[in-house]
Amino acid sequence: MFLINCPYCGERDQQEFKAGGEAHIERPKQPTELSDDEWAEYLFIRKNIKGVQFERWNHAHGCRKWFNMVRDTSNDEIREIYKMGEKPPSQ
Amino acid sequence: MLKYNAVINQEISTNDLIVKEICPVIKINLRGKTREFFTSVGKCLNMILPTEANTSSSSDQLTAIWQSPDEWMIVSNEIDNNDTNTSKLNELLFNNISKTNLGAVTNVTDQFVQLEMKGKNIYDLFSSGSPFNFEEFKERKGSTTQTILNNIDVIIHNKDQNYVNLYVRRSFANHLFDWINDYVSKL
Repeated sequence: MFLINCPYCGERDQQEFKAGGEAHIERPKQPTELSDDEWAEYLFIRKNIKGVQFERWNHAHGCRKWFNMVRDTSNDEIREIYKMGEKPPSQ
Repeated sequence: MLKYNAVINQEISTNDLIVKEICPVIKINLRGKTREFFTSVGKCLNMILPTEANTSSSSDQLTAIWQSPDEWMIVSNEIDNNDTNTSKLNELLFNNISKTNLGAVTNVTDQFVQLEMKGKNIYDLFSSGSPFNFEEFKERKGSTTQTILNNIDVIIHNKDQNYVNLYVRRSFANHLFDWINDYVSKL
């Protein structure tokens, strides 16, 4: 259990949030030109790294807004939180 | 529409906690984000929507509860004794906001059940079933929050000291009330 600082509502308990997977995955500009493997990679393959990861989160039981989070998956330390559409902090 | 049937037909009344459903009360969900939207809502309601998170604003007849940066719940301060299912407020907002494509207006009168809760034990009750920190909330009259209580989504509005209005989805209302009743039985 840890606290997450929603950029809209303020600090709330993790129970109120839902994780939305890896952030900043760009949709291919020409999906029809991709091979099945490339399309599957875009849809299903995630880095799932141990360490600092860029993620999407949703304040599901609060304002229901999506936002981005930089989180260290090895110790759950939240490095940064920023709104959707804002540029990610440099790694 | 469900013709404003009350969901909870009983009342909790102890020395330290009083809980009862207030019904029927008009509730309208309002969504929008443009300047024109704010202007038009201001003219319709004769009040300004709160833009600060977790706050509310009130006039004589209405209360606007902040739900997200582009969403509010407008609640009537009075019981609606109208026999019909139409609401003048809803029609006014619908004609000025929805029809002009400035935002979205949804009548959620029947979707949410309003529980009036009074007494010095309400925050002990909340703390036993919610992860939200009520320390600042209970000191600020007019503050609001959306959180979970006994794993049920709720909206809580601080009306006054030891006096809150709690909004819960209709289908969860009985379960939440039973849970509150159970808490009271252990006091």
